Amino acid sequence: MLELRLVQGSLLKKVIEAIKDLVTDANFDCSATGLSLQAMDSSHVALVALLLRSEGFEHYRCDRNISMGMNLNNMSKMLKCAGNDDIITIKGDDGGDTITFMFESPNQDKISDFEMKLMDIDSEHLGIPEAEYHAIVKMPSSEFSRICKDLSSIGDTVVISVTKEGVKFTTRGDIGTANIVCRQNKTIDKPDEATIIEMNEPVSLTFALRYLNSFTKATSLSESVTISLSSDLPVVIEYKIADMGYIRFYLAPKIEDDEEDIKS
Amino acid sequence: MGIKGLTKLLADYAPKAMKEQKFESYFGRKIAIDASMSIYQFLIVVGRTGTEMLTNEAGEVTSHLQGMFSRTIRLLDAGIKPVYVFDGQPPDLKKQELAKRYIRRDDATKDLATAVEEGNKEEIEKFSKRTVKVTKQHNEDCKRLLRLMGVPVIEAPCEAEAQCAALCKSDKVYAVASEDMDSLTFGAPKFLRHLMDPSSKKIPVMEFEVGKVLLELGFTMDQFIDLCILCGCDYCDSIKGIGGQTALKLIRQHGSIENVLENLSKDRYHIPENWPYQEARQLFKDPLVNLETPELKWTAPDEEGLVAFLVNENGFNHDRVVKATEKIKAAKDKGSQGRMESFFKPMINTSEPLKRKDAAAKATKVPQTKKSKTGAKKK
Repeated sequence: MLELRLVQGSLLKKVIEAIKDLVTDANFDCSATGLSLQAMDSSHVALVALLLRSEGFEHYRCDRNISMGMNLNNMSKMLKCAGNDDIITIKGDDGGDTITFMFESPNQDKISDFEMKLMDIDSEHLGIPEAEYHAIVKMPSSEFSRICKDLSSIGDTVVISVTKEGVKFTTRGDIGTANIVCRQNKTIDKPDEATIIEMNEPVSLTFALRYLNSFTKATSLSESVTISLSSDLPVVIEYKIADMGYIRFYLAPKIEDDEEDIKS
Repeated sequence: MGIKGLTKLLADYAPKAMKEQKFESYFGRKIAIDASMSIYQFLIVVGRTGTEMLTNEAGEVTSHLQGMFSRTIRLLDAGIKPVYVFDGQPPDLKKQELAKRYIRRDDATKDLATAVEEGNKEEIEKFSKRTVKVTKQHNEDCKRLLRLMGVPVIEAPCEAEAQCAALCKSDKVYAVASEDMDSLTFGAPKFLRHLMDPSSKKIPVMEFEVGKVLLELGFTMDQFIDLCILCGCDYCDSIKGIGGQTALKLIRQHGSIENVLENLSKDRYHIPENWPYQEARQLFKDPLVNLETPELKWTAPDEEGLVAFLVNENGFNHDRVVKATEKIKAAKDKGSQGRMESFFKPMINTSEPLKRKDAAAKATKVPQTKKSKTGAKKK
């Protein structure tokens, strides 16, 4: 038996919109802690980890650890039918092969039930250890989104380097090169608009912009984004979901090939 | 070809050993491919209508080049790093099988002639496919093409499947791709089928793990090899009247071919005289392979060379070849992208599905919940 009531239903809509282009099918795992998801894109280069803690729900009932395989595109179709102010309740019965989304309008004059078929998804769950990162950059999410979009019109990959001076985004393409440096900036009144750089060691890594652009679909979930970099780990791009949890995107860096390949 | 009925047998008795995978999920993986098998398939399928095949101006068949070129580009485009392994000298034991194939081809050639006379289109197609033979020239053409494309080529001292399996065992490649179930008998840890199928067919890649096969069947590798020999392999006859099911039962009961033979009713089953099952077993267990293979390298394509070979010598469309070469170059860049699994290791998921699959799945859930408890403690 499962019943999760989320007053701010638009949150769930945004979460699904943020990941549905990266991942087609995924298992949602439900436990006493909350509703979580971990999935990789089809080429296993990027990974998304989502957590919506139970405390963030108005009502949360989950008797045992269960997983529900869903097609995110279909889920998106159903959630699009919910109004932005609607309260969304997710309901499922033990042994059932469907899940129900109930949408209630704010003044309770309209109640809709959408029942979606579940699917069997055989996916690997990866263990992600807690790690110390060489550098952690916090910046306005809209700024990060803009940078990724702008750079992708010039090149395919971006080099993100963090030094004492700030964080630098570099790309190179057929038409030329681009360089964007963001400096530390804590002076602004609103903490969400600040750029804060914590650096233990300088770090520089290369990533495919295509994936970063896909991650920035989560921009509407949070005013700020945190980018954690280590030279021997995938980058983590985290959007906090207010009072509830987070959505984290992991992306494996591009690896430098042997000398021969560089020549060619 | 391969092991008779093994796919079905595994589907029935070791379903967990096989897993459907998306083609894209092999991104960045090095994969050894049995080239001779692929060439054979290309000759049968690519650009064929009746007895007509793709040819160059000189009338030489180019189906194999067409197939090899387009399928390899598809692999590269998906970020897969293929290594092609070519057959060397066939083992002596296989000569009998090869002779049989020769006779069958001979028969087919005669049947084809009759069919052509009668003008029966279906028959013509059927028999002309059966007359296909991979010649030395086909092999050499493909090797030349692959080298121009910058794809590594390995020549096996003997059987290509055995060499592929050895590459996989020594972790030089992630998996072996073939349509021949022999690869499992040679002990390839990971074996893929349908990797080379055209994308239009939309068949998912089937991944077999030999470790899981043994676990599910409760066999040792030696017993599995014996099972395969009883099912029927390329190297010796099988016993008449014994198919996959019976073979599995017999090995489960008696443990080895020796013991099976001792207990088998001589009246019911005719065991071939001088049955060389021991030699066949030896071939599977300890095949002739080259372990000192040079480091595998994927280099930039030789554009001029490709144009000269494909366009000038074999009548390919110039624009297509140039475009395809661009694709190979673009794919090289993809190859430098890392995979998630190189950083994070798989772990056991602690949740049970809400959806109950069936009664059998329910029964196996008991140990799963136990795992989930220990998993939770670790956290």
